[in-house]
Order: sequence, then C-alpha cells, then structure tokens
Amino acid sequence: MQEAGLKRPSQDTPKKNNFIGDWHVADEKIQVDVLTLDSVQCAACGYMMESMAAMPDEVQSLIVYKEWSVKNKTGVGKFMELKGKVLPSIAIEGDIVFPSIIPQYEELIDEMAKRAKTPELAAKLKAARDKGFQFDKVTENLANAGSGQNTRVDS
Amino acid sequence: MSKQLLIDAYRGKRTDSAPWVPYSGVHCAFLINEKADDFLKSPELLAKGVVHTAKQYKADGIPLLFDLSVEASSVGCELKWWEDNVPSVSTHPCSDKTPEQAGLTIPTKDSGRWPTVYEAAKIAKPQLDELDCAMMGLICGPLTLASHLAGVRIFTDVYKHPDFAQEVLTYAGQVCEAAAKFYVEMGCDIIAIVDPVASQIRDTTFHEFVTPHCQPAIKVIHDADLTSSFFICGDCTRVMDEVCKLGTHGFAIDEQLNMNFIRDKAREYGLGFGGNLKLTLSLSLGLISPREDAIVSLAAGGSHGYTFAPG
Repeated sequence: MQEAGLKRPSQDTPKKNNFIGDWHVADEKIQVDVLTLDSVQCAACGYMMESMAAMPDEVQSLIVYKEWSVKNKTGVGKFMELKGKVLPSIAIEGDIVFPSIIPQYEELIDEMAKRAKTPELAAKLKAARDKGFQFDKVTENLANAGSGQNTRVDS
Repeated sequence: MSKQLLIDAYRGKRTDSAPWVPYSGVHCAFLINEKADDFLKSPELLAKGVVHTAKQYKADGIPLLFDLSVEASSVGCELKWWEDNVPSVSTHPCSDKTPEQAGLTIPTKDSGRWPTVYEAAKIAKPQLDELDCAMMGLICGPLTLASHLAGVRIFTDVYKHPDFAQEVLTYAGQVCEAAAKFYVEMGCDIIAIVDPVASQIRDTTFHEFVTPHCQPAIKVIHDADLTSSFFICGDCTRVMDEVCKLGTHGFAIDEQLNMNFIRDKAREYGLGFGGNLKLTLSLSLGLISPREDAIVSLAAGGSHGYTFAPG
C-alpha cells in the first residue's frame, strides 16, 4: 500500500544530525491512520479520508496518511493495534483522536500540532491554521494515499 | 415474501415474524455476473439484478438502487466509477461557492442518471409486485448530499460558517424533496432517506442542520401515503434521539450499535427499526458466525416493528 508523500529510509542508513539519508523531514512527518470500512462505499469513511486529502499544500508536506479498511485482515490488524472502537476513526501518531466524528479543519490541525515530534513542525502546522481546506488536489492526494485501492477482502 | 409484513414492521407494528430486507446494492451486479459500473448504468441490468436478488434471497423488500451519488451527479458533481463498488463523488461544485453562485438548479426526472433509474423501476416494479416484494427508493440524505456538494468543509462550516452551511443544506433538502417525488412516481412502496454521515456530528448540529432539511422529503412521502424511514450508519448513539424525532415511520442502523439499545429507542418512540447484522465482521470477514449473529439479531429485534437486515 502506498503512503502519501512517504518514503521510508533504509534501516541501515546512517543517522547524522537528525538526518537519515535524505529523509530528515519524512522521518518527522505526522503519521495519520484512517480506519475505515471502505472509503468508496461508505460516505462517512470517504469524508474522513477527504479531511486529510484536502489539507492544504503546506500541511501535505508535513504529514503521511493511509487508509486502513477493515475489509481486509491488514486493516483489521491495524484496527486492533490502535484499539479502535468504531468506524470510521482518525488516529494521529497512534492515538485515536476522532472516533466516528468528522473533524473540523482547525481541530485536525491542533491535534496534529499537539503530537508533532519537534517544535518546528508544530509551528509549521499552526501556521497553516488559517489556510483552510484545499480541494484542487484531493483526487491526486487520495490516490497517493491508496484510498479505495485496498478495500477488498483479498487486497 | 410479503410486502405488507415489511410495511407493517417499518411502521412500528407487531408482525407474526420479522420481515427481511437485503440492502443488496452492487451485490446484485455480482449475483448476475456483471461489473458494478455496467450494472448501475444500464436500466435493464439494474432491474435484472434487483429482481434476481429479491428472488434468490426471498426478500420482503429490496432497494431499487443503493447509490448515494445519483442526486449529486444529477446536479453537477463528477463521479469516479469502480468495477466492484458504487461510484464515488470526485468534485464538489460548492467547495468555494454557494449553490446559487454555482448556478445549481433542482434536478428534473431528465437530469443526470434519473432516466436510467426511472426505466429500471418500470421494468422491475411489476416483477417485484408479482413476488410480493416491496420496491424501496433510497434518497441521499441532506448532510451526505451537502458533503458531496461542498466537500469535507461542510463539517467545519456548520460551526464556522453556519449561513453558508444552511444555504448548501437548504438546497440539498430541496434536491431530496425532488428525489422523493421521483421515487413516488416510480411506484416505490417504501422511501428512505439515507444519511450516513449524519452520525459523524453532534446531536445539536443534527437538530439544526439535518432535521429541518429532511422535512420536505418526508412530507412528500407521507402525502403520497407511503412508508418512510431514515437510514444512518456508524456509531450514531449521540444522535439517536434526534433520529427518532425526525418524523419518519422508522429508521435503520448499522452493525456498530447495540441492538437492545436500538430496540428500546424504537419502542420508546413507537417506530420501526432494522439493520445491525454484522456485515463486516460476519458476512465479509467471517470473524463471527453469520448464523449466530443472525440469531442474536432476531432475538434482540423481536417481532414488534423489527426488520431483519444487514447493518
């Protein structure tokens, strides 16, 4: 499953001054997991995913997000790992933050900023608080996040 | 198969046994070996799939169509089609403007995919009548339609820009009303407003932004002396009282709610209720025995206003 904007560094890559290979920023990105039934079939799941995909460019570069559909066993495994209780839910850095409630833009920014790994990242997120959703790249961002691509039992 | 049994249950009455509705949707396409997108675009295939499924599952009622993009696509939202799923809405004409500014009008029966739905109903209705199976019309509910029109921003706008949200939802309610009229004309026996995202908001938001915009469609259904329902998905515990106060004859929920809680709510308000079979955990993944799940649902639901159905 492809993750939007993320390329994991090799485990062997030497870590110097918080750089791991070329992927210093990627390593600091906020990880968001969206637990769904199926973002195509279920409108609520779809708009949970869109709440991430419609984040403005400034925020897209600071986050990675992924759909986990419980229609397949990998998704069920993630649901169990994150101790999900309801669908859909958004987890930020492993915390279920929005269980069965589609968040407001500012709520999402604030909850991600709270969990930022560095003060610099938190500041960048807070700086985007007044930007609002951006819809011109939603389709592209959803595709990059694998939305609707891994929602089959055998996927 | 018994249409009247289903109508009685949907209206909250006692029944000799629980009627059954498969919310088959594009599963109908699977059963007749067709791709979902081909099925949804062809009136002949739609009717064939629905009638075949009603027969195979001995249904007391069946939706003519379970596709919440019909209304949106009839007013200008673009769709992404899938071979094994319903289409998803890919553009939002009201993401930066009101419906009026976007030049949106109320759809007619010639708009978008409505002619296909009309034609499918014309073919399926007599065959379903012969089977004594109710034909159900499912309308995309106002908040889900507003999400299709404005995108995910609508969930922020209900708090930050309530005037904009009300404009979008008022328009969505008018489109729902038009869809209700279409399904009345097609001869549906039961018409349900399906608003899955309405579970994702607070009860006060539901009361302000969903309840009023369901009323025009409910009036159309009741004026035609037909049976109404409201379908909602997800964990809708916090809005259940608002759902019960909408004015429909009943409601249906999904697998995430406790059936005893739902039954008691339905009895408290004198409504019909249904759903809750574990579609994912049981029917899809097999983590729970479908047989045991069905027995638990039947035991909890009883025979007073209950319809056996997937969640």
